[in-house]
Amino acid sequence: MERNGKKQVKKAAIAIILACFSLYYLLPLIGTVLYASSTKWSKSLLPDDFTFKWFQQLFNDPTFLAAVGRSFLLSVLVLLTILGIMVPSIIWINLFLPRVSQIMEKLVLLPYAIPGVILVTALLRTYSKTSIPMFFVLIGALFISALPIVFLGITNQMRLINMKELLEAASTLGAPTPMIILRVLFPTIRTGTILVSLMIFSSVFGEYLLTNLLIGGRFETVRIYMLRRMNENGHLSSAVIVLYFLFILIIALLTFVMTNRQKKQVVPIKQRYNRQSRTLEKGVVVDNVLEHS
Amino acid sequence: MKKHLPVLPLGVLFVSFLFIPLSLMLIGSFRSDLTNQWTFTNYTEIFKNAYYNQAFVNSLLIALASSILGLIGTFLLCLCLLSLSTHIQEKVASISNLAANFAGIPLAFSFIILLGNVGVLKLMIPILASFNLYSWVGLTIVYVYFQIPLGILFLYPSIKEVKKEWLESVSLLGGSSWYAWRKVAFPFLKPSIASTFVILFANGMGTYETAYALTGNNINLLTVRIAALVSGDVFAKPNLGSALAVLFGLILILTMISVQWKGMVKNK
Repeated sequence: MERNGKKQVKKAAIAIILACFSLYYLLPLIGTVLYASSTKWSKSLLPDDFTFKWFQQLFNDPTFLAAVGRSFLLSVLVLLTILGIMVPSIIWINLFLPRVSQIMEKLVLLPYAIPGVILVTALLRTYSKTSIPMFFVLIGALFISALPIVFLGITNQMRLINMKELLEAASTLGAPTPMIILRVLFPTIRTGTILVSLMIFSSVFGEYLLTNLLIGGRFETVRIYMLRRMNENGHLSSAVIVLYFLFILIIALLTFVMTNRQKKQVVPIKQRYNRQSRTLEKGVVVDNVLEHS
Repeated sequence: MKKHLPVLPLGVLFVSFLFIPLSLMLIGSFRSDLTNQWTFTNYTEIFKNAYYNQAFVNSLLIALASSILGLIGTFLLCLCLLSLSTHIQEKVASISNLAANFAGIPLAFSFIILLGNVGVLKLMIPILASFNLYSWVGLTIVYVYFQIPLGILFLYPSIKEVKKEWLESVSLLGGSSWYAWRKVAFPFLKPSIASTFVILFANGMGTYETAYALTGNNINLLTVRIAALVSGDVFAKPNLGSALAVLFGLILILTMISVQWKGMVKNK
């Protein structure tokens, strides 16, 4: 009896704590959604009315569309440089340069020691008086700050499928290099690369610090637009935030689907390892590095 | 050498956008903003100037408060999550990623709607009427909002590793569950807790966007000071800003080393 009672107290305590957390995390979101869909809201539990006019106004605002366009352009450019330069290099390092890979593993946490403000200070000192356009510097800075996500994501995927052995097997069986790349490397690295791309895309899309301090007013991205509107019209800027939240929600859903696919890829391998009474070494899970820049 | 050739572009980008700028920043911090001569005045000014000292203290305090509260919150939430089904656990973990994404301007504004000067909650709940979102308490509440998801990202995988059997065997031997957590689970989790703390601390100290969106230049934080010194204002003092940034980086690196080093000694 006593044990049962204790269990119930514990259950109630857990429910209360979880309710507090959900309130803390949901209230700001609910508040923003309600604010974005009303013309006036004060002194009452719910807003006085319901309207879509802020969203309409937003879609008719050329500066908003231009800001979305700029953020999109920036994300695509950074993503292309990462897919073109960083991803192949990391694959190469993991395959052929084990010592560099070990060093990288330790360096990956370094961006926490170099917050954006420090990087901006260094870059402004170095490039603000040169003829190199700050736009390139911005892309370079975003490229550098993406390293941890890309490195951990790609390395994790390669470990999960044991890429090295796969490639060695293919080459001992006499497969020509182009075929190895097309038939073995690409398909196996695809899921991990898509996951990493999603994270990079959403983090660059919502970037503020580097963009604002490196080129600032001359290049108004979504977040800079958000801040400008915040001081003019609260309802309108809530509408921007709601749209932005929908955007990260979609990215999160896609990430969730891709992670599940990655897990499905891994499960058979894991089972095989378990049968050999060996445990698959636990690498850094991709989820761990999602978005904390 | 041939093996290293394909990595050359990556290396060049790293050298030109990270190593060279950081070195030039370090060198620049020893040059005067007025005469461009070698000097220590940037550093001596920082130590003498009460305003900059206050910025250091403020940043340290908010980082400490938000990371300790964030850790406690993370721990509580993880413990509650463990009692739920694994299916729900995974969902909550991925939702917490979303919350981490929400940091910055959107987060600041959401809290202004709720608790700002004419905040909705303030008008509805009289007790909150005197609450000031732009104070240190307010800032901490907003910081903790993005610290907990980050904490979960790093701590949750380790907490999941605490086996129920360990705790059960302690209770079989007559120990309370508090004893089991203190003597079995906590020592196991200690290294992860330490490194999560370092990450939260660095994140709290490095936060600029949220603080700036909430209070503009009015708040005296290290990140806000540095940004004001180096960004294109008329009164820009890039070398003084560099010196602040160097000291800031040193604090973060020292924290990292001291916590990690303790862990290394323990392992031996």
